[in-house]
Amino acid sequence: MASSTLQVLDVTKRFGSGPTEVTAVRRVSLTIDPGEVVLIMGPSGSGKTTLLMMLGALLKPTEGTIRLNGQVISELDEGRLPEVRLRQFGFVFQDFNLLSALTALENVALVAGLAGRKNGEARSRAAAELTRLGLGERLSFLPEKLSGGEKQRVAIARALINDPAILFADEPTANLDSKIGHDIMRLLRSIAKEQGRSVVIVSHDQRIKDIADRVLWLEDGEFKETTTMVIDPVCGMSIEREGAAASAQLNGTTVYFCSRGCRAEYLAEHAL
Amino acid sequence: MTRLALRNLFQSRARLAISVGGVALALMLILALDAVVGWIEARVTAYIDTSGADVWVSQEGVRNMHMASSSFSSSLASGVARVDGVESVTPILYLTNVVEAGPERAVAYIIGLPDRALAGTPSVIRSGGANPGRGGAVIDQGIAEASGIGLGDTVQILGEEFDVVGLSAGTASLTNSIAFISSTDFAGLLANPRVASFLLVRLEPGASAEEVARRIESQVRGVTAQTREEFAAQERKVVRDMSTDLMAIMNLVGFLIGLAVMSLTVYTATLGRRAEYGMLKALGAHNRDLYLTVGVQALVSVALGLAVGLMFTLGLAAIMPLFSANLGLQIRAAALGKAGVAALTFAGASALLPIRQIRGLDPALVFRRR
Repeated sequence: MASSTLQVLDVTKRFGSGPTEVTAVRRVSLTIDPGEVVLIMGPSGSGKTTLLMMLGALLKPTEGTIRLNGQVISELDEGRLPEVRLRQFGFVFQDFNLLSALTALENVALVAGLAGRKNGEARSRAAAELTRLGLGERLSFLPEKLSGGEKQRVAIARALINDPAILFADEPTANLDSKIGHDIMRLLRSIAKEQGRSVVIVSHDQRIKDIADRVLWLEDGEFKETTTMVIDPVCGMSIEREGAAASAQLNGTTVYFCSRGCRAEYLAEHAL
Repeated sequence: MTRLALRNLFQSRARLAISVGGVALALMLILALDAVVGWIEARVTAYIDTSGADVWVSQEGVRNMHMASSSFSSSLASGVARVDGVESVTPILYLTNVVEAGPERAVAYIIGLPDRALAGTPSVIRSGGANPGRGGAVIDQGIAEASGIGLGDTVQILGEEFDVVGLSAGTASLTNSIAFISSTDFAGLLANPRVASFLLVRLEPGASAEEVARRIESQVRGVTAQTREEFAAQERKVVRDMSTDLMAIMNLVGFLIGLAVMSLTVYTATLGRRAEYGMLKALGAHNRDLYLTVGVQALVSVALGLAVGLMFTLGLAAIMPLFSANLGLQIRAAALGKAGVAALTFAGASALLPIRQIRGLDPALVFRRR
């Protein structure tokens, strides 16, 4: 997998025309770096999903450009977009969207097959990916026999099978309970950090903020607020950098803490 | 994608049963009707095929028996007998009339046979004799059974009563049977008794039927001579011509049923998996990948339908004779080809609408909340 940067510049999406025209996304700019986890949040109807569809080359912007490693993908014709989606992007959906007639293994292998892999190779890659995600015992299960968390892991395996640079996840925890949802989010974060893939998540679930590197708040189609998430090095808690209770400069680097207590503990330890 | 197509197909068993059943019914209609006509064609020429004549001579211009009338002077028989290559000539009389047995009336070819005929006698006799003789009649066993009569009973032919002296087999079809009486009795009922309808010619060993027929036509005026095969082919052609419209209508009905069932099932199958196809598009599947899925489903459905339809038709062919000796099915290779072409057309046409549906499918559909 080659590391890829996704650049969004002044992107606007309008639907309809005249008095019925609706602007879903308004002059949004954004850069997503390799290995970064970006969480896009906002109320219903804020334009999150529309933005995600444009980032994933499923929808063309009305204005602005989207570049992947410098190549403008927002202007590619419909015939070339499937290749971009197939080889550069992976998608994880709220409803899992597994093919009900196929087993877990076949669901993943099918997408490898779409990328031109022979049946045997596609199946062995799919089996390896599913096993890596802890589903080695579930390869021959139909989706109806899998739990919600297992279905979402199959969907993640499917998203990863063609070695994409960027993963897009649309409300990936919405149909999962809190614990499983958190497991899935940690899995997505580890994929970003260990494999160097960018992960873009659209969600309204406040509980998953801590796994993101950046949280973007979208409202009325515009980014209203950008929050950078940092980890308190003492207690390991993920906190908003801008709202950190304390910070300290050490060797030219700023470190942020959830409380003064953590700061004191950190400084005592590093002063020695 | 082929695996997906097959899994999708066999996952919706009710839909599969409907599509396969519908196609099978449609193709069975096409196959069975053709098989009935095939059987009638075979039966209608059974008498000609087993007559023992190598060449059939008729009134000039008359080329078959069914719905035709042939009459010429019986004296022409001696002229034909003198033609090089002719071994024997048997003149027969022929009319289409009815055999009345009690309250039953059955349409029949009435054949007048001379005594000790060398050709033209019934080929299979179940009971009694093959030669009717004066006052006697040989009728088809099936007709006799249907009328509840047997040897020694009386039937009425051409308005005269005859004693049943023989029961033949293989001399009846769905439309008519053949009854044999003596030429003498037959001629007695005609205004001009010195006529013949056909001359049944047997050849000397080694003689060519085509050449002898050509010689008869050139040496004897006022007659048409054809080999047995040509005469039988003309007879079949008449039946075929008469059944063409019916066949066309029934084929059209079968075709429309098959097309409607297939179109509906393939369309609803695609509609039911619209979200899945949209998701596959979002993941990067090309339209051609999805067309392949629909195409394979349609093809497999019609292939199964064709197999089931053929199986039912073969079953029908096996059980039909148990219910009626005068009705059967003869499945012909051409009909199988026709059914195959119809099946392929069902598959192709039924896939068109879903393909159009898929082409216009927005992959972003996958993000719309249900």
